[in-house]
Amino acid sequence: MSLLYSLARLLDRISPAPIAYAHCDIPCGIYDPHHAQLAAHTVVRMVDLINQLEKPGPSATAEQRQEYTNKLARYITTKEQHSEIAKSEIRILWADYFKPDHLKTYPELHDTVWKALKTASKARQEINLQAAEELLKATNDIASMFWKTKGLETITTKAPYPTERQTVYPKFK
Amino acid sequence: MFPFRRFLVEDESMRPTLEPGDYVLVNRWAYRFHSPKRGDLVVVQDPEMPERFLVKRVSDAAGPTQVRLAGDNRIASRDSRAFGPVPIERVVGKVWIRLKR
Repeated sequence: MSLLYSLARLLDRISPAPIAYAHCDIPCGIYDPHHAQLAAHTVVRMVDLINQLEKPGPSATAEQRQEYTNKLARYITTKEQHSEIAKSEIRILWADYFKPDHLKTYPELHDTVWKALKTASKARQEINLQAAEELLKATNDIASMFWKTKGLETITTKAPYPTERQTVYPKFK
Repeated sequence: MFPFRRFLVEDESMRPTLEPGDYVLVNRWAYRFHSPKRGDLVVVQDPEMPERFLVKRVSDAAGPTQVRLAGDNRIASRDSRAFGPVPIERVVGKVWIRLKR
């Protein structure tokens, strides 16, 4: 420790030096809208599965009812969880990644995020294919803005999952 | 206005040049007669939180009225890549002496 450093320390006792931040929000900078898109796909898939599930008729056995209830409960649980994952991922991008500069280029960002969160809640509360698909579309819109802020073009193509819905992917050079 | 002001460095975006706990003495008169140059170490008002100061390196003297800033530790820095160029009047001064911890 140098003499000048000790002197600065001493001066701090009289009048503390202001802090100059060499700042970052944790050295991370690692963001990707794919998590949100993936969660939205899962929500769509769960609604599809729930709708395809054969409902037990009046003559169904106790075992058949049990099996139906078990599957339904599993699909609903997963739909609940992944709607919430989608919301959480969207919030992270919104609060931590997007900056005021981005907002100048995408003034619709706040509105898109707000609607996406509302739609995610609706998809969570109901068995509603339209809400699930709107959630996926909202995550695609956010992904499209995100990748453009990274200077990357995007392509919209059919996802390689059973949902097969249109999905936005970055075009890496 | 007394030309020199000391600041205490916090966080890690200027590693290895500056470590948390180092002091910098800043010359507030450094840019009275000429503009910041690329490579200068400067203290600026945070463009997103004006009551706070940042220490960064000038990565580009983007024009007579603004500069772009970068941290030396690129992966751990919030800088002009996030908040864009910074107006010259936000620059407090140039780092004159570093006091290593």
